[in-house]
Amino acid sequence: MLKIINGQVYDPANGVSGELKDVYIEDGKIIAEPGFPQNNAVPDLIDAAGCVVMPGGVEIHSHLAGPKVNTARMMCPEDHYDHFHTKTSVSRSGTGLTIPSTFLTGQLYSRLGYTTVFEAAVPALLARHVHEELQDTPLLDAGFYTLMGNNYMMMKVLGEPDSKKRKERLRDLVAWLLRSSKGYAVKVVNPGGVESWKWSQGSVNLDTPVPPFGVTPRRMLLELVDVVEELHLPHSLHLHSNHLGEAGNVQTTLETMRTLEGHRLHLTHMQFHSYGATKSGGISSEAPRIAEYLNQHPEFTCDAGQIVFGPVTTMTADSPMQFHLHQLTGNKWANADVEMETGAGIVPLIYRPSNLVNAIQWSIGLELLLLVKNPWQIFLTTDHPNAGPFTAYPQIIRLLMDADYRRARLAELNPKAVRYTCLAELDREYTLDEIAIITRAGPAKALRLSNKGHLGVGADADVAIYPLQQDKEAMFSRPAYVLKDGQVIVRDGQVIKNVMGRTLFVQPEGAQKLPPDLADDFARFYSIALSNFAVQEEYVERQEVIPCI
Amino acid sequence: MRHLSRYSALAKGLFVAEGRKGRKVVVIDVRPTATSKQADEFLEITPGQDFEIATVLRAIIKGLPLPELPEDSTVGGVPLSKWRELVSLMKACHYGVVMFGIGVTESRGKDLNLEQIIKLVGEMNEFTRFYAIPMRGHGNVNGSNQVLTWQTGYPFAVNLSRGYPRYNPGEFSVMDLLIRREVDAALIIATDPGAHLPKVAVEHLKNIPTIVLEPHENLTTSWANVVIPVAPAGVGVSGTFYRMDNVALQVKKLADFPFPSDLEVVKSIKERIADVKDYQRASL
Repeated sequence: MLKIINGQVYDPANGVSGELKDVYIEDGKIIAEPGFPQNNAVPDLIDAAGCVVMPGGVEIHSHLAGPKVNTARMMCPEDHYDHFHTKTSVSRSGTGLTIPSTFLTGQLYSRLGYTTVFEAAVPALLARHVHEELQDTPLLDAGFYTLMGNNYMMMKVLGEPDSKKRKERLRDLVAWLLRSSKGYAVKVVNPGGVESWKWSQGSVNLDTPVPPFGVTPRRMLLELVDVVEELHLPHSLHLHSNHLGEAGNVQTTLETMRTLEGHRLHLTHMQFHSYGATKSGGISSEAPRIAEYLNQHPEFTCDAGQIVFGPVTTMTADSPMQFHLHQLTGNKWANADVEMETGAGIVPLIYRPSNLVNAIQWSIGLELLLLVKNPWQIFLTTDHPNAGPFTAYPQIIRLLMDADYRRARLAELNPKAVRYTCLAELDREYTLDEIAIITRAGPAKALRLSNKGHLGVGADADVAIYPLQQDKEAMFSRPAYVLKDGQVIVRDGQVIKNVMGRTLFVQPEGAQKLPPDLADDFARFYSIALSNFAVQEEYVERQEVIPCI
Repeated sequence: MRHLSRYSALAKGLFVAEGRKGRKVVVIDVRPTATSKQADEFLEITPGQDFEIATVLRAIIKGLPLPELPEDSTVGGVPLSKWRELVSLMKACHYGVVMFGIGVTESRGKDLNLEQIIKLVGEMNEFTRFYAIPMRGHGNVNGSNQVLTWQTGYPFAVNLSRGYPRYNPGEFSVMDLLIRREVDAALIIATDPGAHLPKVAVEHLKNIPTIVLEPHENLTTSWANVVIPVAPAGVGVSGTFYRMDNVALQVKKLADFPFPSDLEVVKSIKERIADVKDYQRASL
């Protein structure tokens, strides 16, 4: 048995807020305080005096493993040369600043106190590759979301005129895609927009019929959100809306939310979707409107996608957006077409405080985090490595907890930025409780991971212990201890033990096979045989199936 | 030839219902080949002109004037008008793919030729969808590139001698290390350097301790110091294969072999080393 003593415990899911409380751990789980007499066993002690004790961090949206990440690594050796980590007796070497290699990714996350991560976008056809990388990503439990928003079979099924039959067929298809890929949730990226670009057509609005089946994005979203609920998937629909990064896209974002009102929905990297348009075609902040809407709609959650100044590597299944970014910046670009399913694009980029657009983007992310009142509705992300690397989380925590620091940083930006934003007027400072919510308790709840994000009896013993400091960036950069399944893996910010986490996925009920007409399409039009599609058990050696209830 | 029938030329697609009839195939090569016989159009070029051809194509795509080139001149041995026709064809298609082979990197200009081709394909996307697929030589070269990249950040020519990955093609590539005689022992897996490397590199290999993991007898096993027979992947043992277009597939075990897999051999070697060096087993 292991006992963490003298620590101030922040466990918002169980209403514990900074109380001095002991935490008991046995067999990798949090247990109740044992009564007397004990069976002679003297527990190991961790003295957390002067520290806060929190559940391990839970990452809800990050691009950390898989084909597009690996293509980015290949394409950008300049991201790695100066950022290398030597092997130690417990951990393997690695390289990378914004797109670290797999071993290093696991180490860097755990050194911040994170113990669970989700890769945000995976085509089912390429899921096997992602599982291979996750098996080489140590120290973390990990899963991914399966892309469906531009999938041919999905669009074909939605073309079915009979609404009852349509629903049934879609439910079976979604369940089959999730089970085959061993994914965790349904991800939709720019619904219909990627497909439209493949046909060299323009961007789509909610009511634009998308070739070749003429289904509209609105129909896709309404039907998918229903199916996700019917299948009792633990996570809601995970949506990257249309028109990412475009001036004036707030209209689309609001319209999308209105369309899906009353449903559980997660809107990702909201910062990129909260732009107004200025007369000259630039962007302005519409964060207050988005936040106001979210404040009235507790059924929705979102994550920030906060900008971090410095180099990033943008990567997304939203290939048209990436092509435009390539045209705009002239930076190098990779693009992939995943035959029947989706696309992807990659463009490296540098965000600069002196750049007006970047300065406004930076302000919008913080405005959202400060204006959404309920911390259970907005989570800390940088859409790693799109808006910034996840290693910048401590810096963002300081920006949220320290208004003076925030104002000082704001003063260093392009001076015109304040004309288009309201950040300067916001005085809110996050509490440690709220930080614990936006970095662990909240994401765990949105993902319905009942054993994660809290320290109640029965929870996985994933624990992060941070030494209390005035400088919150320093505090959250270097945990005194991190525990994974009850084992100390990090001490004073350094990895001291290597453990392998589990792959988290769902197995929703539904037909075990594709219906014959879709199986026929698959045989004719996929470049692989149907029998080779589903990810085999060998690729999830250490697994945990999260129930659909 | 399987490539033509299964993927590139003959396959019937969702939007190319007629298969071969619905496609235009253009082959550019320095001599007629079995592939060029299947093409709608074969452009036989003079060797060593890849860079010039790609540059002129890019200029035509962009509609730039070519004051140095009279309309009746040739580029790479093919009339300029033919190249203009090719560009019109490319711009008119819905979906184009450039498949290029290793020959492009072997002629004058080397990696610059490739850069031109990749830029050309990128620029074609201003007009229509265009992609490029490099045609690899040996089986699962892509798999080795993918794994090295996610583990170290670099696809090949990775040097770990300092305890962290360094990358420099031309300095740390196998051929260069061997020719400079910097290597003092070699572990060879799934390849036959005796057959593929230049003589001077092979000579050096012959002078140092060499361990080979190999299912077959080949030009390396005859002089290697140690040969460990292993079961062939995809026949005697299952594994993962990365196709040229990055799709990972599982290859299955078809028959029992009396030999261990590459993985088992390397793992047990690593375990022995870990015991000596006192590394934590879980990090292997």
